[in-house]
Amino acid sequence: MPSRRTFLQTALGSSTLLSMGLTAPQFLARSALASSAGTGEKVLVVVQLSGGNDGLNTVIPYADEAYAKNRIVLRIPSEQVLKIDSQLGLHPSLAGFRKLVEDQRLAIVQGVGYPNPDRSHFRSMDIWHTAKPEVEDKRDGWLGRCLDCSPHGVGGDVPALHLGANPSPLALASLKTAVPSIESLESFRLRTDGGSLPLPSLSRLAEAARPDAPELLQFMRQSTLYAYTSSQEVQEVLKQEREATGYPNSALAQKLRQIAQLIDAGLKTRIYYVSHDGFDTHANQLGGHAALLTELSAGVSAFVDDLARRSQLDRVLVLCFSEFGRRVRENASQGTDHGTAAPVFLAGGRVQSGVIGAQPSLTDLDGEGDLKFHTDFRRLYATLLEGWLGCPAEPVLGSRFESLPLIKT
Amino acid sequence: MADAAPTTANSATDPQQNPNPNPLAGVDPTWAWAEYRPEGGNTADASRPWNRELAAHLYRRAGFAGSSGQLEEAVVAGCQATVDRLMAGDLNHGQETGEFYVQAARSAESLLGSGNPQQLAAWWLHVLIHTPHPLRERMTLFWHGHFATSAAKVTDVRMMYAQNVILRNNALGRFAPLLDQVSKDPAMLVWLDSTTNHKAHPNENFAREVMELFCLGIGNYSEHDIKEAARAFTGWELRQSEFRFNRYQHDPGQKTVLGQTGAWTGDDVLRILLQQPATARFLVRKLFRYFVSETADPSPALIEPLAAGLRENDYDLAWLVRKLLTSNLFYSRHAVRQRVKGPVELAVGLLRSLEASANAYALHDELKKLGQGVLFPPNVKGWDGGTAWINSSTLVGRANLVWAIVNGEGQMRTRFAPDKLAALEGADQPAVVATRVEELLLACPLPDQVQVQLASIAAADDGSPRQRLVRLVHAVATLPEYQLG
Repeated sequence: MPSRRTFLQTALGSSTLLSMGLTAPQFLARSALASSAGTGEKVLVVVQLSGGNDGLNTVIPYADEAYAKNRIVLRIPSEQVLKIDSQLGLHPSLAGFRKLVEDQRLAIVQGVGYPNPDRSHFRSMDIWHTAKPEVEDKRDGWLGRCLDCSPHGVGGDVPALHLGANPSPLALASLKTAVPSIESLESFRLRTDGGSLPLPSLSRLAEAARPDAPELLQFMRQSTLYAYTSSQEVQEVLKQEREATGYPNSALAQKLRQIAQLIDAGLKTRIYYVSHDGFDTHANQLGGHAALLTELSAGVSAFVDDLARRSQLDRVLVLCFSEFGRRVRENASQGTDHGTAAPVFLAGGRVQSGVIGAQPSLTDLDGEGDLKFHTDFRRLYATLLEGWLGCPAEPVLGSRFESLPLIKT
Repeated sequence: MADAAPTTANSATDPQQNPNPNPLAGVDPTWAWAEYRPEGGNTADASRPWNRELAAHLYRRAGFAGSSGQLEEAVVAGCQATVDRLMAGDLNHGQETGEFYVQAARSAESLLGSGNPQQLAAWWLHVLIHTPHPLRERMTLFWHGHFATSAAKVTDVRMMYAQNVILRNNALGRFAPLLDQVSKDPAMLVWLDSTTNHKAHPNENFAREVMELFCLGIGNYSEHDIKEAARAFTGWELRQSEFRFNRYQHDPGQKTVLGQTGAWTGDDVLRILLQQPATARFLVRKLFRYFVSETADPSPALIEPLAAGLRENDYDLAWLVRKLLTSNLFYSRHAVRQRVKGPVELAVGLLRSLEASANAYALHDELKKLGQGVLFPPNVKGWDGGTAWINSSTLVGRANLVWAIVNGEGQMRTRFAPDKLAALEGADQPAVVATRVEELLLACPLPDQVQVQLASIAAADDGSPRQRLVRLVHAVATLPEYQLG
């Protein structure tokens, strides 16, 4: 089974193309262009930590007295903290993240938030998704607007994909492009069972030249052939790697494993989005939060290792964010309530690794007893848009935000 | 073609992105909108005889798709008579159209108590598949995309049903009452956050959408018009799930909207919008795209005669739709197969062609995955249509939907009428079977190579005649040609 790239270059590049008449040169040029571009396109994988992750118990200011004072029950003892420097360390469940820091593959951006923080899950998540704290306009999201302003063609691979049981998140909503939400890669399998036609027959029927056909039919022929070949390719990759190792059995890790397979299969999808839920830890936080962080750290680090093995890591960047952090002082139920600023993680082969920005003060708090942010999340977005996705940030974000030094050039 | 500038596009070229040169540039508007008369007379056009291909084209556009019997009748009856029939909507031989809708309304009302909008969506799909008046439903679907309102936000099923009834009752009526009713429709008020509208804080959301999306189109109004219109709409609110005008919250002052000054109310703004030539042009353009072609951008000269006619005919939508469906342009190469089927067209068309029924709940789930859950449009703009439907994920999804329908297994539970299938199977002549399926589902020229392959699928000696037929339908309905409407 030839790879899709080989398939497009050989099968379509020779006899078939000749029989396509006038449209051949353009098609050849475009497919050659597309296949060469496909190998180098940057990919963004968003991992949304839903519910409000407790940043202070994730990246822990273990040396700060105020931490011990505010976290009587929930304090992670400093001997258990995975230390990064003399002030900060990671939660003991983040062994995978510490390894990523050692390997220079994880950036920890401190104190990320936005002015006048909203403590409603829904509103704050909407703000992160739309990148519009000032107005309530839920027509599209920041990544959807990025899709709108990038000149991606239609008819090829989906420009973005949400993996999960829910509909695509608002961040991916676009007025021009529908972003599919799939529960599993089964959606990419062309069904040809139950005594129906085998896939090669369907591909052959689509492939037959339509020399005098109008442009719309030519477009449909090319797209259909591309889709069926694509499906075949994804299935081949899945078959070979059913036993892909190194991933824990968690839901998040399994989604990331599938994304790695799609990236490696040469899909031209540039944005993948997954959710990791359950961070709303109002009560009995210790055990539950540790489990969530284990799942996150083990999943993301397995994903990064797998991509490195496949030589794909330099074109992939993982963003982990939550709609807000949690209150500095723990509550009476051994949990924490909704807060504000929190750390954001970026993983990949090209990130400027290490802790970026200061830990917000635990004593100079806002009126609600929450951390004061110092880095607007839209600066992070501007960095990703311009430095990674190659899209002008200003039209997407509505105004100019200074980039952060997060990506190695 | 060859000298087109390369883009960073994917594997395929997108004709909509690149309509160069505009194929309609040289088309004479007088010819375009004159009645298509293949039978004779001054404008008779012997080069485009009325035949099965054009009958199938008319049925795809006006009725999702024709059954074998409907296409045969249409070829004999002629173009005008078939358009008359589709406009009148009496395609069922057994049941009268009025009776069908009485029963449909009864079953809708019985499911509203469930509070589940998915059930209402399934109900509508059932109507789409079985209605004797498919053109009315096609227009209802058009208005649903135009006044796009989603049950994802308007969670009240009764409200969604009431809006669906408004759209259906006015689908081929006049635009003025349709606009009026939709503007005061509770589902729309909830959808556009206009359940309260105080004079101290005029809500610009509805004022903006009524200009940008419902009437004028972008570029035909100013931000100032929106602000002024928003003041006129103050006092429109929802009270106990019903529209009411609250005069205490209405701003009675002078407003200037689109150059007209007065102490306007919301009704005045709607009247002013209907007076704008831009409104008729906007509607004609959108219906041109829906019925005639998605690939060509019609010139103002081509749009103007219909826009003027629409105003002269008091925004009579039936007049406009008939004009489009009987025009020379509609039966020309500029229109035939110059549209991409939306997911609903694809599935409903296939079922109507085969005179089959399927589990509408399962179908609704599949259509949502393909991006067209009815009652769940993606945003206020509705569905873009055209090549935006097409990518490698949706094409695999479409092929799998066809597979699920023709196999009828699992949730889909497709039921075919045995006598219709028997008629297709055509006993022991595989070539005849292949031709019948092609004529039913496509009625268009196919490359020899494809015809040979289809004939060999029909002749394969594995499986029963029924299994061969299913394979053949699957093969034809996954061809690139079948994606075109």
